Amino acid sequence: MFLYYVDLAWRSIKKTPILSLLMVLAISVGIGITITTLNVYNMMAFNPAGERAEQLNTVQLWSQGPDSWADYHSQVTYQDVMNLRKGKVANEQAAMFRSGMAVQTDDPQILPSLNGVRVTDSGFFNLFEVPFIYGNSWDKSVDEQAAFQAVIGKKLNQKLFGGENSVGKTIYLNRKPYQVVGVIDDWHPQPKYYDPTSGAFSKAEQIYIPFSLTASEEFSVWGNMSGWKYERLDDYQDRLGSEKVWIQYWVDLPTAEDRQSYKRYLSQYVEQQKELGRFTDGKSPEESAQLSNVDAWLERNHVVPEDNKILLGLSVLFLSVCLVNILGLMLTKFLKRAPEVGVRRAIGASRSQIFSQYMVEVGVIGLFGGLLGLAWAWGALYGLSARFGVAEGLTHLSLSMWVITPAIAVGTAMLAGLYPAWVVCRTKPSVYLKSQ
Amino acid sequence: MLNIKPIVSSLLRSKSGPILLLMQIILSVAIVANASFIINERLTMMQRDSGIAEQEILTFAIYNFDPSIDATLQNKVDQRILRSLPNVKAAASTNMLPLSGSGWSTTLNLGPDPETAKSTPQVAMYMGTEHTLETFGVTLVEGRNFYADEITDDVNSPNILLLITKALADEVWPNESAVGKTLWAGRDVQVTVIGVVDKMQGAWVDSSDLEYSIIQNVDYSGNSYMVRAEPKHHEALQQQILDALMTENPNRVIDNFQSIAVVKENSYRDHELMVTVLSMMVVLLLLITSLGLTGMVMFNIQRRTKQIGTRRALGATKGDILSLFLTENYIICIVGGLIGGVLAVLLGQQLMQHYDLPQLNLIYPVLTVVGMLLVTTVAVILPARKAANISPAMATRSV
Repeated sequence: MFLYYVDLAWRSIKKTPILSLLMVLAISVGIGITITTLNVYNMMAFNPAGERAEQLNTVQLWSQGPDSWADYHSQVTYQDVMNLRKGKVANEQAAMFRSGMAVQTDDPQILPSLNGVRVTDSGFFNLFEVPFIYGNSWDKSVDEQAAFQAVIGKKLNQKLFGGENSVGKTIYLNRKPYQVVGVIDDWHPQPKYYDPTSGAFSKAEQIYIPFSLTASEEFSVWGNMSGWKYERLDDYQDRLGSEKVWIQYWVDLPTAEDRQSYKRYLSQYVEQQKELGRFTDGKSPEESAQLSNVDAWLERNHVVPEDNKILLGLSVLFLSVCLVNILGLMLTKFLKRAPEVGVRRAIGASRSQIFSQYMVEVGVIGLFGGLLGLAWAWGALYGLSARFGVAEGLTHLSLSMWVITPAIAVGTAMLAGLYPAWVVCRTKPSVYLKSQ
Repeated sequence: MLNIKPIVSSLLRSKSGPILLLMQIILSVAIVANASFIINERLTMMQRDSGIAEQEILTFAIYNFDPSIDATLQNKVDQRILRSLPNVKAAASTNMLPLSGSGWSTTLNLGPDPETAKSTPQVAMYMGTEHTLETFGVTLVEGRNFYADEITDDVNSPNILLLITKALADEVWPNESAVGKTLWAGRDVQVTVIGVVDKMQGAWVDSSDLEYSIIQNVDYSGNSYMVRAEPKHHEALQQQILDALMTENPNRVIDNFQSIAVVKENSYRDHELMVTVLSMMVVLLLLITSLGLTGMVMFNIQRRTKQIGTRRALGATKGDILSLFLTENYIICIVGGLIGGVLAVLLGQQLMQHYDLPQLNLIYPVLTVVGMLLVTTVAVILPARKAANISPAMATRSV
C-alpha cells in the first residue's frame, strides 16, 4: 500500500511540476539555512570529553582582592598551582600553559621553525587520553625532578625524523637539548577543550614539555596573563611569585565523592592561604574555590559565540516561515484536486486512506527538499570556509547531519501537510459528483 | 474608490489562505527587522576609522632563540636596520599590534591611593619610541611627541611619559587639557601625559573601550615589529627585511608578515560572516515570501475566474481588478506588518536580554514593512495582470 501511495505521489508531483518545485525549493532553502547554522553550532557545542566530561574538572580560585574581578578567572596563579600539585589529592592532575619555541635537530638541513609548545605535567596524557604511537609520557618523577624530556606530535616527527621511532633522539628547543620520550598520534580535539583560552578551534600543539622546567627555564607565555592589581614584575621569578593568573589546572575526579572531598580540600587550602594574607576578598573559604567540569569549562570560556546562538534561533524562525509557506502551497494544490478526491471517495476510498495518501505525497516532497537542502548546506559551508577561513573542524558536514536533515525536512513537510491533508480528506464526494 | 469593506469581508470569510499569508508576513517582518538591524550594527562597526595607517603598516615577528643574545641591544640594531631599508617611511618595535585581538591593557588611577582614587577605563597599552607616532600614522593634536633621550628600555622605569588618545583625554578630563596631567599605576608609580593624539584604536575590536589607548616611552624588545611603507613596496620589502635581519643575526625565526589591514580583516571576520549569513537569510526570506504570495494569488485567480469575469461584464475596468488584488495584499501586509512589528520588538528585547545586542531601533520594523509592501506589490502585480485580462465573456460561459 505504501509503495502504491509513493507511486501516486510521484504522479501527482509530475502533474503539477511548478507548484511541486516551488514547495521543494521552499523546504530546501529553509532546511539549507537551518542545517548550516545547526551544523556549525553542533560542532562548536560538541563536548569532546565524552563520558569523561563529568570527571575532568578545572580548578578556579577566588584569589582576587576586593573590588576587582566580579567573577572567577578561568586560570590560576603559579603559586597556587605549585601548592595544589604538591597535595596530590586528585586521581590525576595537570597544570599547563601555552608557550612557543624554535625547534632544531642535529640535522643542519632542517631550518629552525617556530612551534607552539604545551608546558604541562605527565598527567596531561592520561587526563585527555592522548594516543601514543611510540614511547610514552615522561615519568611521573619528572614532574618533581625536572628533566629535559619532550613528547612530540606525529606531524613534527614526520618533519624532523621522517616518521621513524624517534624515542631517545634529541631535539633542540631554543637551543636547549630535549630527549624525545614519546610520539603521539594526530590528535586534535575540537573544540580544543583542554585550553580554549588560546583559540578554541586551533590545532593541538606538536610539542609537550614538563611543567617542572618552568621555574628554571623561564618559558615565555603564549596565552592570556591577567592581574587584578598593579604588581611590579622585574623578572620571571617575580611573575612566579605574583598574583597574576596564567595557568590552567585540571584534575581527574571520577566519582561525586571524589569531587566533594576535593572541594573540601580546596576550602582548607584557601583557609591556609587566608592565614598567610592572601584571598583578601571577604568570601568564605567554601565560596572561594570551584570546580568546573568540561561542560561548565567550555561555557565559561564562551566556546560557542553568542552570534551562533542568535543565528541558530533566527534560522529556526526562518524554517517556520518556510513551513507556513509550504502549508499555503500545499493547501492550494490539494484543494485543486478536490474533485479527484471526490471521485475516489465515491468509489470507496476511506478518509484515512485519502489522508495517508496525501501525507505520503507530502513526505516525498519533504524528502526531496531535504536532499536539496543538504546540498545547499554543503555548498554554504564550503563557501563560508573558503571565503572566511572558518576553522576546518567547523565546516565539515557532520555524519549525523545526513540522518538529521532528511528527518527534519520530512518532519517539517508532514507537519505543514497535516492541515491540508485533513481538509482534503473531508471532501464530500457528493459536491463534486454533482457538478460533473 | 478602494472598496475596502467588501474586500475585508471577503477576506474574513475565506478561511485559511489569507491567515497563512498573514502569519508568513508577521514572521518575516520580525526576522527581517532584527536581522537587518544586526547587519547594520555590524557594518557600522566594521567601518569605524582606526586612526592608523592600516594599509601602509607591514608587521612581522622576530623570534630570537639564542639564549645568549642581548635582547635590548639586538632590538636597537634591528630597528636601525629597518629604518635604513629603501622606501621605509618609519619603523618601530611594539609590544602589541593594533586591532589584533591580543595585547596589553590596563587601568590607571587618577590618584595615588588605589583604594579611593577613580580610575580610567581599560586602555590599550602600547610601548613605543619617538618613531611610533609616525609609524602608526596618527596625528598629534596637543602637546608633543617623545624626545629621543626620553626613551627607556625598562617597562618599570620611574620616568614613564604618556601619549594618550583624544577619546581617553575627553573621558578622563572632559573640560580641560590632558597635557601635563598625572596618573598613577600603583601607589608610588606616577606617569605624566605629554601629548594627545587624534585617534588610535586598541587591539580588541569588540570592546567598548576600543578608542582608549596610550603609548608609553619604552623601547620594548619583544617579538613584534612594524614598518611603514607604501603598500606596493611591501612584497619587495619583506624579502629585504628577511635578508638584512638574517644577515645581522641568523639565530632567529622571522615570520608572520602581514599588513595591519589584514590583521584588521581577521579581527572583523566573524562579524563579516554574521553579515553575510544574515543578508542571505533576508534575501531568501523575501524571495520565499513573494514566491508563496505569487502562488497563492495565482490560485485565487483560477478559483475566482468566473467572479472576475462577472465583475468585468458589469463594468469593472482592468485597473479595478488589479487594485482589488493589490488592496487585498496591502490589507494583509499592513495588518501583518503591525503585528510583525510588535513581534520584532519583542524578539529584539529577548535578544537584548540574553545576548550582548543593543536595543532594536524602531526604524527597522518600519523599513521592513515598507520593503515588504514593495516586494509584495511586484509579487501580486505579475499574476494579477493575468486576472485583469480575463474577458467578460468568461462569466457567461458555463463551467
